[in-house]
Amino acid sequence: MTKVDPILLSVYARTFKSISDEMSMSVQKTTRSPILCEAKDFVTGLYDAEGRMLEQTENLPILAFSLAPVCKYIIEYFDGDIHPGDVIFHNDVFSLGNQNNDVAVYKPIFTDAKLVAWSAVKGHQADIGGNVPGGYNPRATEVWQEALRIPPVKVFEKGKRRKDVWDLIFANIRFDIVEHDLKAQMGACTVGERRIQALITKYGIASYDAHKAALFDATRKMMQAEIRSIPNGTYSGEGMVYFDGHNLGTEFTIRVTIHVEDEKITFDYSETDAQTDGFVNGTYTSSASATVLTLLQMVNPDIPHNEGMVEPFEIIIPEGTILNASYPKATTFGNHLCPPNADAIIRALAPVIPDRVTAGWNNLLCSLTTGIDPGNGEAYVDIGFMGLKGGSGGMNGTDGYDHIGMIDASGGVLDQDYEMFEQQTPHLLHRHEYTIDSAGAGQWRGGLGVETIYTIGSEDTQFVTFGDGDFEPAFGLFGGHDSTLNSIVLTYPDGTEHVPNNKDLIAGVPKGTLYHQFAGGGGGYGDPKKRDTRVLAEEITNGVISAEMAETVYGYKAGQAG
Amino acid sequence: MKLGVDVGGTFTDFFLTRDGSAPLIFKTLSTPDDPSIAVVKGLHEIAESLDPAMSLEEFTGSLETIVHGTTVTTNATLTRRGAKSGLITTMGLRDALEMRRGIREEQYNNRYTNVVPLVPRRRRIGVEGRIDRDGNEITALNLEDVKAAIDQFKASGVEAISICFMNAFANPHHEQAAANLVRAEMPDAYLTVSTDLLPSIRFYERISTTALNSYIGPILAHYLDQLRSRLGDAGFNGTLLIMQSNGGVMSPEIARDHAALTLLSGPAGGPAAGLVYAEAHGQNKCLVVDMGGTSFEAALVDESPVMVNEGSIDRHKLALPMLGIHTIGAGGGSIGWIDKGGLLRMGPQSAGADPGPVCYRKSGVDPACTDANLVLGYLNPDFFAGGQISLDIEGSRKAIEEKIAKPLGMSVEAAAAGMYRVVCNNMAQGVREVTIKRGFDPREFPLIVAGGAGPIHSCQICNELEIPLQIVPRESSVLCAVGMLMSDLRHDMVRTFVARLGTHDWGALDDRITDMKSAAAAMLKDEGIAAKDCKFHVKFDCRYLKQYHEVSFVVDDTAIKARDATKIETAFHEEHNRLYGYSLDSGEVPVEIINVRLQAVGETSKPKMGTGEKATSDAATAIKGSRRVYIPETDAFADISVYDGARLHFGHKIEGPAMIEQVTTAIFVSAGFDCMLDANDSFVLYLKGREDLVSSGIKGSAK
Repeated sequence: MTKVDPILLSVYARTFKSISDEMSMSVQKTTRSPILCEAKDFVTGLYDAEGRMLEQTENLPILAFSLAPVCKYIIEYFDGDIHPGDVIFHNDVFSLGNQNNDVAVYKPIFTDAKLVAWSAVKGHQADIGGNVPGGYNPRATEVWQEALRIPPVKVFEKGKRRKDVWDLIFANIRFDIVEHDLKAQMGACTVGERRIQALITKYGIASYDAHKAALFDATRKMMQAEIRSIPNGTYSGEGMVYFDGHNLGTEFTIRVTIHVEDEKITFDYSETDAQTDGFVNGTYTSSASATVLTLLQMVNPDIPHNEGMVEPFEIIIPEGTILNASYPKATTFGNHLCPPNADAIIRALAPVIPDRVTAGWNNLLCSLTTGIDPGNGEAYVDIGFMGLKGGSGGMNGTDGYDHIGMIDASGGVLDQDYEMFEQQTPHLLHRHEYTIDSAGAGQWRGGLGVETIYTIGSEDTQFVTFGDGDFEPAFGLFGGHDSTLNSIVLTYPDGTEHVPNNKDLIAGVPKGTLYHQFAGGGGGYGDPKKRDTRVLAEEITNGVISAEMAETVYGYKAGQAG
Repeated sequence: MKLGVDVGGTFTDFFLTRDGSAPLIFKTLSTPDDPSIAVVKGLHEIAESLDPAMSLEEFTGSLETIVHGTTVTTNATLTRRGAKSGLITTMGLRDALEMRRGIREEQYNNRYTNVVPLVPRRRRIGVEGRIDRDGNEITALNLEDVKAAIDQFKASGVEAISICFMNAFANPHHEQAAANLVRAEMPDAYLTVSTDLLPSIRFYERISTTALNSYIGPILAHYLDQLRSRLGDAGFNGTLLIMQSNGGVMSPEIARDHAALTLLSGPAGGPAAGLVYAEAHGQNKCLVVDMGGTSFEAALVDESPVMVNEGSIDRHKLALPMLGIHTIGAGGGSIGWIDKGGLLRMGPQSAGADPGPVCYRKSGVDPACTDANLVLGYLNPDFFAGGQISLDIEGSRKAIEEKIAKPLGMSVEAAAAGMYRVVCNNMAQGVREVTIKRGFDPREFPLIVAGGAGPIHSCQICNELEIPLQIVPRESSVLCAVGMLMSDLRHDMVRTFVARLGTHDWGALDDRITDMKSAAAAMLKDEGIAAKDCKFHVKFDCRYLKQYHEVSFVVDDTAIKARDATKIETAFHEEHNRLYGYSLDSGEVPVEIINVRLQAVGETSKPKMGTGEKATSDAATAIKGSRRVYIPETDAFADISVYDGARLHFGHKIEGPAMIEQVTTAIFVSAGFDCMLDANDSFVLYLKGREDLVSSGIKGSAK
């Protein structure tokens, strides 16, 4: 066993991070779907020969904690039949994928003919086949109505492209940009491969093995220390899901029981409601990712992201529940069960670690739009990121952050630039601003929500809506208030209004229709009457809190600020 | 005589070139409240130190050119002391500046708050009027709305106004109409019109850059007035030029209206200077690194300094062409600490100048990089800053023992060596950012080392990255000031031109380029540059259809004249492949032009370095003693010779390992390297056995 040099250990940790970040930059700069390059709906990572996480760059954390499990699955699946120059695609939700649209590219890394590591990029593709362009099909009841399933498949074998396999995949996907974006993901994997090879060539495989094991140990210790700071006990919480896409009025409850025992934490979802008939179902990895990212917000943010970080967690999600649907259920909505899952965890832990939790984050209500741009006759796909992001919850000592929700993204997903939005879609943007009084009131208020209005510029436009944020506002904590609800309203050229359901497909929307969306704020924390009056005075003049609300809710009297 | 003046946080650096004599380096303490005081004080001190001494007026009056680099705009932004600003923008979109596209850079940190916007919401005013994506007017500009905004600004004492409208890149008429009203109503206000400063697509980038320009515009204008008045009083009647973030210089008149061009100009002189030292060895490219007290900067020069089209300052986007300088928090003051998982980390927290490292005896308690360097023997406790500061080595040892060695269960020396190696690795990662991440192989670039702490660490950086050649200029401690005299006048222009490459309207493209050329030529003419010294380079920002990010590349003038789209497309594929490891086969996907850029350069005459006279003595005569020093290659201490840098000259050769001490820097020649002095009197460190890399002009003359 090679001796571990504590200094070299720091060098390895820093280098892994730099490689993963470099892969992320490569994806961002070369992909063509705005979902990837503008919004950064992808994750890059490095894994060891056994598929254990070495480091990740988690632009959208909800995808992040599926990569290592899938890597392990791929290793088992090919059972040694892995060679230099292989490239493997995967999206299958019934072999640990998190969402059909999130297609991962894996590249094995060899030095001296020995498998030493993997580089991988998982990104949300503009289309993945199935019934509906863009992949979100609220009417789906089975996976085949949603997407092309890609279990582990070699698209390159020993450096040679498997033309037949490649063509089979892309013959089943609508937009050609998906093919180019997956090439860009492969390019980023090559970037990771080159640098890992250089690192191992420099220090030797024995040094690499010994130091990565030591890195896992050091990180595990950091996480264990964080868990130890949570009092031992059993804590429970609930979060709500509204409407399965088929039966109006349906409600489902996510129930978590958290056991903390010294340096181990268990999240048990056994009491959670059964799976639904529609696409409102999680997969094990999308749900476990939600659990991990929520907990990560309650611990030291400097802990490195590697296998050691997740080892102290046990996450029990029985198959057949809404968080872990059984084959062949539809699951595309699964990533968006993160907000109610996070609600359940926050509610469970708030009484125990009140200074480390936030109030509720704005829940999701989102739309995906597809159509033909009359300006150039080309198809476009737009996920309305700018419109969907509400406020985060306040916490003791810090206001919520304006316009960064949902919690799945934690502020990692960018708005479309307005001018790029009007280049890439035929729409005309009228408004994208903070909404006055949208923040949940509190001594520490929630983050502000936003209002978005634009005119649809294409005929026969198709909308898909998804989310839960029109039923339950972000909740306040410890005397803080709830925030405002989300909403989407379409006003057709003839003046009629249409309020879609929160999981809906609206076809044939004509040009000239007005799209109007509110994303609500985050929940407030603590008694609003204790809010700093100088801050309130500033917020009133800036028009983010109204004089009326300041008076009635915050107990503020004009001229009171010192 | 020409003078480069670089105002830094602690010192103001001067570099004076004279016909027929060696250049002169000078440093004086900065005066942050009014940096122009230190400039004039320095002039006075230089005049007195000349042989024969001159009066201030006599000296200043004989300066043809002063090139000035200033950080007043940077500091005003970082300390939030900019002008009281107002913003007029498109109705419904006034929050874009504050939202910053809805990002939280630290995703898992719920204590991380948004940066305070440069213009508060109450002074961001939306007005009616709309241009569509093709430049057509959809709604006329409502001048009454603009007037109401102006009235509010008047009432609240606004000093600086920004105008930025949606899609103005495609049609600036609304912006111009609003600007005319502002000029009529508030003639004294500082005004920035987005499309005057940055007529290119991307609303957030443009509004942020525009707001930054207004925020610091009045500050820079005021400072330049003070400087010119002080210089005038001191007898200066030559040309004053101001350093820009793009590595070029400009007249104070142009700087007034384009204040944002100075925002990241602090280190911008370095790359141009670096190239001069590399050229002595037949190279037209180099890597320039500068390690100071708190930060480490790395930049790449490939024929000319490598540019990027945007950057950011304090999390505000600044979308103006600038040198691609990467900064990390690694310097002599970087503090060593053990994280919760037991890993040794260095920085980014810095002990700064006050309290400084423990060895400064200023009540610092956390061990810094400088403390480790002292324990490792790289610094001479009795010859720091030429002996002006006596260093407390026992204090350093104690702090390292307590904070690093004991927790890690190792000796003080091993802990110090660890701190040194971690900081070197951090810097090597910083160099990777400007090389490997941008598709360049660092091994092909000689490393030019600047800054007081740089030459102690550069061998280890080279070991990490397998760089075989490094050059430590004699003037390394004032490299940016040197670079100011090596910089040309420079203006970067951009016009958005969205079209498919090949089927685009060549005539319209010509018009854009001609338009930029005439504007740039007029600026250069005003700055006194003869037409024959003006050079223009055209660049395109292109992308594969529907990519979101563009690749900038130089387009040959003749390809445009010959209407040769294939040649342009090939250049694009090559650059894309170099940057990102792949390109899409020709014809597979159409290529789109997004922006056309023009780089206008007004060439200035450059000073010469060194005297070119070879040393006659043996290098051994410069040995002033020996010291026990840590050798990273063997992970052990060894006694090595210490040379007096002042007594080393062109032609001298030293075998590593060795230490070279100068007043402003110490150089560590590690065991894997040897050192020669070249015709510029620079210290050239090369991998043992790689003498072939050193200019043939000095080989064979070594003693």
